[in-house]
Amino acid sequence: MAPSLLHPPSHLSPAAALQLSQQAPSVLQSSPATVSSAPLISLFSTSESPDLWLKYENLLLSCLRTGDEHAAHQCLDRLVARFGEDNERVQALHGLVKEADANNTGALEIVLKQYDAILAENDTNIPVTKRRIALLRSMGRIPEAVASLIQLLDFSPTDPEAWSELADLYLSQGMYPQAIFALEEVLLMAPNAWNMHARLGEVQYMAASATGATDAASQKYLAEALKRFSRSVELCDDYLRGYYGLKLVTTKLIKDPPKPAVKATDLDDFAVPTTSTIEKLNELATEKLSEIVRRYTAKERQWHGYDEAEIAAARELLSQDASQTER
Amino acid sequence: MTWISKTTTFFGLVLLAHACYSAQEHSALQSFRTTSAVNPSSPGTTAVSLPLDISLETLVATAIICFGLALGTPPLRPIQWRVWAGKIEREGEEGFMNADGEVSRDYVGNPFKMLETRPGFVDIRRQKKDFAEWVRSSGEKQEAQI
Repeated sequence: MAPSLLHPPSHLSPAAALQLSQQAPSVLQSSPATVSSAPLISLFSTSESPDLWLKYENLLLSCLRTGDEHAAHQCLDRLVARFGEDNERVQALHGLVKEADANNTGALEIVLKQYDAILAENDTNIPVTKRRIALLRSMGRIPEAVASLIQLLDFSPTDPEAWSELADLYLSQGMYPQAIFALEEVLLMAPNAWNMHARLGEVQYMAASATGATDAASQKYLAEALKRFSRSVELCDDYLRGYYGLKLVTTKLIKDPPKPAVKATDLDDFAVPTTSTIEKLNELATEKLSEIVRRYTAKERQWHGYDEAEIAAARELLSQDASQTER
Repeated sequence: MTWISKTTTFFGLVLLAHACYSAQEHSALQSFRTTSAVNPSSPGTTAVSLPLDISLETLVATAIICFGLALGTPPLRPIQWRVWAGKIEREGEEGFMNADGEVSRDYVGNPFKMLETRPGFVDIRRQKKDFAEWVRSSGEKQEAQI
């Protein structure tokens, strides 16, 4: 079954994106190109729904990805006809199409200049600002991207998406403390986001195992990661990613237990729980992971939602664990 | 399970219709009797009340209809955050299908997924490149199979 056109398609697999963009001709044909706002005509024609424009936008993204430029331009034309050239979101989509069409650095520079020109007129145009940052990152100009992202966050500090992008940018440069800070900001705005808790746990685990981390710092990161993964499985039953991380962290903590000399100096610091608690957590994670893997492999009803690759990774982790205990 | 609820509701409706019809017939008969009564001086004294079996039938029919309708309700949605989130992770969109196999309209998957995919910052050139590579590699795989 094809995924819905009502949600942004950027996370879909290539096969799903292909499926979506193959729908393009039929969707374009069956949906109205323009919706008249004249009162008399709108009485008789089908009413306009916000879904329609969302559909065009997502179809545009899928078509750009699969290289179906004709359909993409058609979608864009319809959006422009409805919302006008000056709409901020349409401007960003227009830029996106140009980015996809550009095939050398010169063309990209021109697109970047156009973004700058739009922003010179109105520097609070958030969709275009985000496009500009994404383009800078795509061109490999990371420092500039970070600088403009920080500028964006200066005037719009309650945008979790931007904070999350900043965390990703910092992480790509190996700047763990900054990435963790940005992810904590995301969690301030979305405290129930179980995947972001797991993400923060993963980044903290990476920071703990990075080369050059001192013993005390690595201890602190591991304790924090333990906390984050525990929160993520508390927020979401049977969360594969959370249990996977929990198992990794507890295994590491059991292997080289924290030195008692390391004391919590700060009140905010989270002390590592006792060894028995950690062992219990490890057992719980192992049990849950094997249950998930078993039920998914047995193709039980209501257990189909997991990602194939994630299940494979969990299976590998479990088998590693089993071989270690045998020895 | 839907046919059980449907037959129960239908049976209840038949009973209710029967009770209504009986009540109507009864009142028609009553009024006929009073007008043709030999003693016209006291027409109001005969209290026109329904017989017990008709009232009982109405009550039972209503109860059966309620029961049938309650049987036919779709499974309740989880109201605890972790149960709901777990359902999304475990079942994907399958958990949110109605009886016709259509995914319910307000299903969005994990609503916080957007914080990791970040559609506002999408790198379209890399996606395009990845897609082209996927096409090439899957094409090679198919050739190898042939």
